[in-house]
Amino acid sequence: MPRRSLSTLISSFPFGPAALAMLVLTILSGLVLAFNPPPKKSATLTYWTFAKPHYDSYVKILPEFEREHPGVKVDLQLVTNTGLPQRLQAAFQADLDVPDLCEIEISSAGTFFRGPLEHVGFADLTDRIHKDGLLDKMVAARFAPYTKKGHIFGLPHDVHPVMLTYNRELFEKEGIDPNSIQTWDDFIRVGKKITIPHKRYMAEMVSTGTDEYEICLFQRGGAFFDANGNLTMDNDIAVKTMEFYVPLVAEGSKNQVAGSLSSSFGSVIVQGLQDQYFACLFTPDWRTGGLQQDAGAMAGKLAVMPLPAVEPGGRRTSTWGGTMLGITRHCQNQDLAWELAKFLYLDEKALPDRFRTTNIIPPVKHSWQLPVFHEERPFWSNQRIGEQFIALADQVPGQYSSPYIDTAKGKSTEALISCVKYYEHHGDDGFDAFVRSELKARADEVRRQIARNPY
Amino acid sequence: MKSVATTPVSVTSSRASASLRNRPQRWAPYLFLSPYVLLFLIFGLYPIVKSLILSLYVTNGPKDALFVGLANYAFLLHDHDFGTAVWNTIVYAFWSVFLQLPLSMGLALLLNTKWVRGREFFRLAFFSPNLLGQVFVGVLFTILYQPQFGLFNRFISWVSGGLIPVDTKWLQDPALVMPAIIITSLWMYVGFNMVYFLAALQAVDQDLYEAALVDGANSVQQFFAVTLPSIKPVATFVLVTATLGSLQLFELPYILLGNGSGPKNAGLTIVMYLYNNGFQTGDLGYASAIGWTLAFGMLIISLIQVRLTGATKANA
Repeated sequence: MPRRSLSTLISSFPFGPAALAMLVLTILSGLVLAFNPPPKKSATLTYWTFAKPHYDSYVKILPEFEREHPGVKVDLQLVTNTGLPQRLQAAFQADLDVPDLCEIEISSAGTFFRGPLEHVGFADLTDRIHKDGLLDKMVAARFAPYTKKGHIFGLPHDVHPVMLTYNRELFEKEGIDPNSIQTWDDFIRVGKKITIPHKRYMAEMVSTGTDEYEICLFQRGGAFFDANGNLTMDNDIAVKTMEFYVPLVAEGSKNQVAGSLSSSFGSVIVQGLQDQYFACLFTPDWRTGGLQQDAGAMAGKLAVMPLPAVEPGGRRTSTWGGTMLGITRHCQNQDLAWELAKFLYLDEKALPDRFRTTNIIPPVKHSWQLPVFHEERPFWSNQRIGEQFIALADQVPGQYSSPYIDTAKGKSTEALISCVKYYEHHGDDGFDAFVRSELKARADEVRRQIARNPY
Repeated sequence: MKSVATTPVSVTSSRASASLRNRPQRWAPYLFLSPYVLLFLIFGLYPIVKSLILSLYVTNGPKDALFVGLANYAFLLHDHDFGTAVWNTIVYAFWSVFLQLPLSMGLALLLNTKWVRGREFFRLAFFSPNLLGQVFVGVLFTILYQPQFGLFNRFISWVSGGLIPVDTKWLQDPALVMPAIIITSLWMYVGFNMVYFLAALQAVDQDLYEAALVDGANSVQQFFAVTLPSIKPVATFVLVTATLGSLQLFELPYILLGNGSGPKNAGLTIVMYLYNNGFQTGDLGYASAIGWTLAFGMLIISLIQVRLTGATKANA
């Protein structure tokens, strides 16, 4: 009987069994959702970072901050470097799932400062920074990339001076004294002895990207954009840098001392070092941390030295990369977020462990006296690498951001590839004129893009 | 009036209740369609119309927009990068059609013959790369293409007796980027399209082959007189979908080239350029103009293909 009544109910239901099934499923799923609501956000502050080494160091020290601030819970999230800018842009645009604090890589930072000041998704930190005297306490040049029209939207995480990592064993075997390399001319002279094309190169320098070109450009005081946001990728410094750089990487050039592999990171570069495909690597402080982590077999065989100078007595470093920490406008507790930012970036209790985990020199000048920055490192042939990077920190050139920085870098890469090709076919003949016209043509494309968009 | 007065009460009430029962039945199709229609209106039609309107603006995210009329479309005509993206996409689509499809058909013909042993295994083997997805394949081939240590380079250097250097930079040399993308997509899609051709070949009426044999046709003549006309509708379908798929290429080069467009934009495609403008530069207006230009181009190419292959006549 019950079976009959059930089948009667199903057959007599308006619109038939399908509609009944849909109704039942709707009610069931509604009940499941009603009795299992998503967990409420328990954290007081949400913090996004894209760098695993940063994440690892923060995980260790955040309990200390939470102890100092009873009842406060920080939700630290590691978001991939490539995904974070898009996810944050989408969050800002939809005003949903916006973190309270977020770290941004320097090359992406400019894209977040487009449009009117009031539409920037990050809170203006200028007053807080002035009030706490941070412009004096920190390396002031590192605020430049995160500043728009005099308003500072980010706290710099780092200084990132660049040195050269060299294979100490190989240098000793070849009888090379690293102290004899004072200028780039010295570097090329030594490099010619080391380099065997397609087998071994003095240094890793790419001919199809801007990483090392950018380092050389900054070392000479050049940039893609100046402090006022003007495009400078084709000025005289850029031309001179290109004319210096191309012969080092062009196939068949008498000065070719550099080569590259597909990636500057991870297992590929470690293998390149171990196989002595490269004798030297351009190494900002953050990269030394990566090498320590990935290249265990090279422990005690590597060492660092300052970059060769352009001219005797010139600047012995440059800069590569950077990170800012911003507090979003969405954050409900800006004061607490500022406290957390200062704890992670300035507090002397937090900085030693951060350095041991990442090898990254903080831009906080007074912290450089801490013993941790003067320890010998067995991995680096017992060198005091902290001390060496700090000695160069004041020479680090400024770099400026722009929403069009990626476009400018892409166009500089195009110019570099064309110049390398030209040099491989024609050598020095007409090279200067070609470099100038190529850089100008590519820069004009960027200028057209900038002129088209009023934001 | 009289008839109404004389109609028995029971009959009137039965008609009324039948009408009540039928009314919801008439609305039933619309009710069942409504969820889809609603979703389409919100997530399909609205974005389409919105993007068309957006393409007339220069924007900075959704908060700032400045009406510029057709200026975005006019700028596209002179945009060097857009020209590069269109050229790259066309080159890729060309090789997809003229290399990938003949290979797919060749494999299908091979596996359709009775003398090949282990046909089921080969069908699965050739089809299986498609199960992985473009992102996974992109990551895999990034490793295979590595200079010095990558298997691909080691293999071709060994085969060529060292003529091709082991540190060949497939993904860093502008001249090699597109061949690398095409080789990867061949590995991924040849087996996929082969399945369509195989299904079509298995549906060809065997009597036609017998008749052709009786008429003295050799295997080549049979292929052109029987096989090809019989699989024409499927071939047209594969041709159109492969072309449209090629024109929408994005994930594979994006992953292969380390989330970028490669040296000298050698791997920049139209959809990648759209993505860069919309989601990295933040100009949704220009990205919309690129999207509409692509959609219009795809429509034209599809119509030309259908016209040239005579698919509409065949269907008629």
